[in-house]
Amino acid sequence: MKRLVYAFTVSSLFLLSGCWDKAELEEQAYVVVMGLDQHEEDENAVKVTFQIANPQVGSSARGDEADEPPSDIVTLVASDVAIAKEQVHAIVTRKISFRHLATLIVSEKLARSDQHHQLIASLIIDPEVRHAMSFIVSKEEAKDFIHANKPRLETRPHKYFQFMRERWREIGYVPDSNLNRYFQRLGGELFLAAYATAEKNNAQQPRKGYLAGELPQEGGDPVQIIGSAVFRYGKMIGTLNGRETRTALFLREQSFVRNAMETFTDPLNEKFEISARIIEAYDPDIKLNLKKNPIEIDVTIPVRLQMVSDLSLTDYSTNLKNQTRLKKSIQKQLEKRTMEMIKKTQEEYQSEPFLWYLNARRHFRTLKEYEAFNWSEKYKNAKVSVQYEVEIANFGEQTKPAKLRKPKGGHES
Amino acid sequence: MNTTLTGHLLYNVDKLKNIFHYPQSKALYIRSVYLSFLKREAVVFFVEGAAEIKTIESRILTPFLSEPVQTMDDDDIIDFLIEEILTSSICKKITTFDAAVNELINGNTVIFIEDERAAISVVTDAFKDRQITEPSTEFVIKGPKESFNESMSTNCSLIRKRIKDPNLISELLTVGDREPQQVTVMYIKDVADDGLVKQVKQRVNQIEIDVVIDLTILEHLIEKRPYSLIPSTLTTERPDRTVSFLREGHVVLLMEGSPLALIVPITFWSLIHTAEDQYLRWASGNFTRVIRLIALVITLLVPSVYLAVTTFHPEMFPTDLMLAIAASRERIPIPAFWELLFMEITLEILREAGIRIPTVIGPTIGIVGTIILGQAAVEANIVSPILVIVVSITGLASFAIPDIGFNIAVRITRFIFLISAAAMGFLGLSLAFIVFLAYAASYSSFGVPFFAPLAPSLPSSNDLYTRPPVQKQSLRPFHLFPKDKQRMKNRKERNK
Repeated sequence: MKRLVYAFTVSSLFLLSGCWDKAELEEQAYVVVMGLDQHEEDENAVKVTFQIANPQVGSSARGDEADEPPSDIVTLVASDVAIAKEQVHAIVTRKISFRHLATLIVSEKLARSDQHHQLIASLIIDPEVRHAMSFIVSKEEAKDFIHANKPRLETRPHKYFQFMRERWREIGYVPDSNLNRYFQRLGGELFLAAYATAEKNNAQQPRKGYLAGELPQEGGDPVQIIGSAVFRYGKMIGTLNGRETRTALFLREQSFVRNAMETFTDPLNEKFEISARIIEAYDPDIKLNLKKNPIEIDVTIPVRLQMVSDLSLTDYSTNLKNQTRLKKSIQKQLEKRTMEMIKKTQEEYQSEPFLWYLNARRHFRTLKEYEAFNWSEKYKNAKVSVQYEVEIANFGEQTKPAKLRKPKGGHES
Repeated sequence: MNTTLTGHLLYNVDKLKNIFHYPQSKALYIRSVYLSFLKREAVVFFVEGAAEIKTIESRILTPFLSEPVQTMDDDDIIDFLIEEILTSSICKKITTFDAAVNELINGNTVIFIEDERAAISVVTDAFKDRQITEPSTEFVIKGPKESFNESMSTNCSLIRKRIKDPNLISELLTVGDREPQQVTVMYIKDVADDGLVKQVKQRVNQIEIDVVIDLTILEHLIEKRPYSLIPSTLTTERPDRTVSFLREGHVVLLMEGSPLALIVPITFWSLIHTAEDQYLRWASGNFTRVIRLIALVITLLVPSVYLAVTTFHPEMFPTDLMLAIAASRERIPIPAFWELLFMEITLEILREAGIRIPTVIGPTIGIVGTIILGQAAVEANIVSPILVIVVSITGLASFAIPDIGFNIAVRITRFIFLISAAAMGFLGLSLAFIVFLAYAASYSSFGVPFFAPLAPSLPSSNDLYTRPPVQKQSLRPFHLFPKDKQRMKNRKERNK
């Protein structure tokens, strides 16, 4: 009898419990990219685009599915994403799963509307939604962007974004934006999201920092991701180009972008340009004086310089005088660029994307006191001074620029 | 039956014949001799196959039939024969039929003398034994290559060869009511805890059974929890390993006819250690040990983790791996759980068949295994290729667990984990793991906790997951309560 009770208890444990979330891998459709667009007429509707990965493309289990596309793209109109996720089953055979959804694309039009924050905030009610998913703003409709995004080297769409994300962290032209970051910056600070487009606009003036679509390009993948969309209070208010984005990331404490290639005017020969790698050796030192009115912000950024190219072929490596001039010139140019960028945020966006609010928050005992202080309002009028401490690391492998040795005065034989 | 011998030779001979069912049974051999120097009749008995005829001829018959140098000067004829006539080194005077029978079945020769109330037993046993061979299951690359054989005296000798210490006690106990068998209990007197020795002897003495067939059966009989998955004793075929356990303060049991030594008490650590861990240098020995621990974890968890992730938590895979598994599973008609169970059971069948299969057709199993398990099942879309990898890694890893009893216990537990993972994913898996761990932690072998000296934490040489260099293994494990706690004095004491 006792044994029977035991057996019953143990077996009922397995029979009565479990298996709720059980689903075989192959019975699910994995959305890897999701796009959100505003509906043209209906204000309360949203166009949801699912890009569903096809497991068989790119795997060894080929067979007669060789002609299948790498992904299936479906667009639906629904009142929100959760409804769309249900309704899509009128079309898609397998159960839609967001568990591998790592990229969210929002059209600029939607991002600039009030509807945007409502959609995003209600999106994360679904426990399947990953908070670490990348957040990208597309210049055109997200649907068109997803359709246009056919990378040549990466057959699988998730791979394209996975690799791209790694490049963002390396180069810093694009912020590594994700949903978590978005939700952290809803209090008037600026949130930077990756800005992308498949529409080309080559008419811009060159070499001053590009926004997606402006980079002159021939051949290659159709999509450009560079620069950032600026959000304030959950709404897009403008853009920063690649160079500005990188400067913004440089000014952050504990930023992942630690080095950047930049071009400068050659101090000895203004006709030419010098390219150098700027390495942020330590965290920038951010000093705030919140007692003064307007508040004072003092930022010191220690950088090390690595010469990459020297088109004027001036000898900087052995001539100490030239070195000092170079250092000073580069310091000035860096400070000028940064100040321009800071001014832009103060005047145009009236807040900052440098996460200085985190430093400011430390000056208050309670969150209430900080909120009463109204940081972004104070930042608008703040006196900001930026100082770069430039140190030359090296001039590369060549000790001296190789110059042409033409005989003086004489004729060439 | 425990009657004493009478002074009447014919009566004694008849009675012994009756006991051995002579002449129906041809086991008993009888040879009468006339001792001319005593002017008396004597009868020599021995059992076919148990005693060696050559020894009997040279040690007993030759001295009996030749004229002795000495003349009879003793009062007792038996003593006179033992002391001055017989040339065998071990002779015994016996007085009961019981003793006579016991001597005979153990291969000795019994001599009845006319008009004497006692008999002589001469050691002439010659049971056939296997040679001492290399260990077949606990093989090492570096280290001694001897293993026990089926003779208890050989096994004792292999142990005594290594411990030349008068404190090494071997006590004889008897088990079995119908066919009494001898069990040797070995321990080092000034190391092993008295309480432990007493407890082991008590367990052996408490056994109530007609016959103990083998040491492995004795192993079951002295265990406290016969239904437990985890073994509480350990058998080894290596004399060197036995000796190292003896030196730590363990108790060793030996039995005639068994090529193993039974070691009690044991812990988790003794089940996963091998002799070679100590023979190899510190780094190499620890490396192999860590590999074995990894293999243990793989055997226990890989199939169930795979199942839990694929059916409950696909987000835990990198997208590419997830898509690859999904693609390979697209045409599989059965759920992942049944697929995995089918493969695991096939693997277990393959293992079992591999042991039972006659050596001559042994290679067939490899072909059948690789073709059925590997290729055909995948091509027939019954299993996915990734699952074949999971199952083969698990199978391979399970071979690395050295102790056979523990090995099978782990393989059984693997199925329990598999079912839990199929029911509730990681939640079920972690619940089952907690239950398993709690059971193991509360389990004890002869009063020693299974995870001692890690949990409960007791002083020891830390010979656990890894081992320190030999010169730092200065303490005997305290969970055995050794009388002599230190293996070596520390340097300060030595220099005094």
